[in-house]
Amino acid sequence: MLEVKQLCKTITPSTKGTPAPARVLAHNLSLRVAPGQVMAILGPSGCGKSTLLKIIAGLEPFDSGSVCFNSIDLARTPPHKRGFALMFQNFALFPHLDVLGNVAFGLIERGLSQRSARQRALDMLHRFGLAATAAQKVWTLSGGEQQRAALARALITEPHLLLLDEPFSALDAHLRVQLRQEFSQHIAQAGIPTVLVTHDEQEARAMAGSGFRLQNGQLTRLW
Amino acid sequence: MHALRPLPNRSPNRSAYLVLAVAAVPLAFLATMLVLPALRLLLEGQAGFNQPLWTALWQDDYLQGRLAWSVLQAAVSCALVLALGLPVAWVLARFEFAGRSWVLRLLMLPFVMPTLVAALGVLALWGPRGVWAQWLGVDAQGTPWLLLYGNVFFNLCLLVRAGVDGLMQVSASQLAAARSLGASPWRAFWRVEWPAAKPWLASALCLVFLYCFSGFGLALILGGQKYGTLEVEIYTLVAYELKLAEASVLAFVCMAITAAAALAYTLQEQRLSLPMPVDAIALRKPVGLAQQAWLMLALGILACVCVAPIAAIAFKVAHASGAAWFVLIEDNTLHALWNTVRFSVMAVALATVLGLAHALAARRSLWLRAAAFLPFVVSPVAIAFGLLLLYPRWSASLPLLIAAYALLAYPFIAKSLSSALDSLPAHWLHAAATLGASPWRCFWRITWPLIQPALRRGVGFAAAACLGEFAVSLFLSRPEWATLTTLIYQHLGRPGAANLEAAWVLSSLLMGLALLAFVLLDQSCPNRPLEPHHARS
Repeated sequence: MLEVKQLCKTITPSTKGTPAPARVLAHNLSLRVAPGQVMAILGPSGCGKSTLLKIIAGLEPFDSGSVCFNSIDLARTPPHKRGFALMFQNFALFPHLDVLGNVAFGLIERGLSQRSARQRALDMLHRFGLAATAAQKVWTLSGGEQQRAALARALITEPHLLLLDEPFSALDAHLRVQLRQEFSQHIAQAGIPTVLVTHDEQEARAMAGSGFRLQNGQLTRLW
Repeated sequence: MHALRPLPNRSPNRSAYLVLAVAAVPLAFLATMLVLPALRLLLEGQAGFNQPLWTALWQDDYLQGRLAWSVLQAAVSCALVLALGLPVAWVLARFEFAGRSWVLRLLMLPFVMPTLVAALGVLALWGPRGVWAQWLGVDAQGTPWLLLYGNVFFNLCLLVRAGVDGLMQVSASQLAAARSLGASPWRAFWRVEWPAAKPWLASALCLVFLYCFSGFGLALILGGQKYGTLEVEIYTLVAYELKLAEASVLAFVCMAITAAAALAYTLQEQRLSLPMPVDAIALRKPVGLAQQAWLMLALGILACVCVAPIAAIAFKVAHASGAAWFVLIEDNTLHALWNTVRFSVMAVALATVLGLAHALAARRSLWLRAAAFLPFVVSPVAIAFGLLLLYPRWSASLPLLIAAYALLAYPFIAKSLSSALDSLPAHWLHAAATLGASPWRCFWRITWPLIQPALRRGVGFAAAACLGEFAVSLFLSRPEWATLTTLIYQHLGRPGAANLEAAWVLSSLLMGLALLAFVLLDQSCPNRPLEPHHARS
């Protein structure tokens, strides 16, 4: 179970010359994600949704509070040892690797041999309908294929927690609806607790069992 | 699922110490090879200050004339480069035409061209035995035109590239808004495109001034007795008259002026960090007589300035007497070729280590990043002179020569890598970290492969710089360490048409070598960026 307790985070935008006021992204913010639960966090652009995900992933420092997983405080656990998977808005697929290399990346980092990592990655690509693209460079994929490849890469490591940062925002409306259903199925099958960040309430309601709005550094329950 | 592994306590400053350790390598090198020699050079001038040397020197009409000419030729070169380069940049930024990609590649040519080859190219065109003298009876020897032409050849492409980058910052909607508000094409250029390109052009002009003012090889060969610059004067005072104190005063003046130009460049560079517009202006085919004329004008300028000197060398080499070709199999030439290659390989290896360390350490430090430009600010003549003064015992030692080569070459690698590291999106490293890669593994599996094209490009430039290095070789090498550049210079210093032809043949060999090194190292295709708008949907 993920528990974020009394989290505080303030940023001072660095603009050259003109002093900018500090912005509160989180103020005594707490949240809890139970095993198997999918939680959505909504909010306008710039409210700190993505920063909250990065804090949970260990990629962004915070001012005070704590991030715990299964009662272990993660303050001293670096991102690569947390076992979480963060899926980025722009997918962040590695351009120098082919699709198979991208999906196998996390397994190799967890100590699997190249051969078995690539075999398991190929199995994963079959499940996601991407086996034919395994040897392709990622930039040759369509938006939807890139999206699937990014989810396959995230899920193959069997993460403790899945963090989705606006995963459908780069796609057109039709593909968004189609992939939303696909994603929900894959996540439900894997049974991984998930935090979904989005500004689209319809998308959030379709995918998540509970939803919160992040505004002025506070979470308000929507459903 | 694997278990969470909390880390043992570790110091939060660990990464800062690591950065410091990495930065220490290039900084120590810069201090030893550049800062201390420069200080030693100033000290030599200070010693002369007690003997009213400064006053005496600056009351000397001859030296006043040299200083005035050094500044004037750099300023006139800037004006010429701007006048010729802006139309070329505009055409390349706006028009699509057959061979455009080749023209863009051609713009790289002067960057890898050894100074001596450029000087010989200008002589092959405008010199007393040049193409124009042969065909039209025009000989520009003994006029300032030779040096100005050489400066424009070397620097035009620098301004064109900056101009193209600047003009690319204008968005299609900005231009459309200006036109719909009643601006003619010319007024739209003047009120929208010119302001966008101006900082880029100003930044490039600072560099052009810097290079023209502190250039040595071109001024030595093309300036002659009458139009030599302060850098040539310093060389003459050190090498022929042994007036070290006087030379150090002149070197101090040169350093002050180049430092001012470098400061202006740095201030301009800070204004260039604008994002590319989302709606970039699409390239269009030139339509109508006026647009065709602009295209022809741009191509004509490039042909006359950038291609003609190289073509002139090729012409001269092709028409050289059979005996001139025998220079290629002379022992001296083979020995110089061997020296050139081995010195360059050793220097590039050292420069690669230094450049990589500098770029990695300077990611979050503007000052450290600016330090990589120091070898560009201090002229090679001043560096070599300072090294001679500071390390007299080592003055003819191979390690010092190689280190001096590396000093001049490594900023190319550091600059190239810094740009690549800047353009590396953080989300790739974040993604790798969340997939289980440690910071070292992130570097090894993500950063390292992705900076390879930039590394190869930087190494290509560094190799070309080492192969064509002239000033440092002239100061620091022994007779038995002659390189191709010093051998060409020796041939130029001897009378007779045969020696000039031999110099042309050797310069074509050097040009081929520099191009080969650059092409071999730079032929890798950069990885395509991957952002959502690039994906097929």
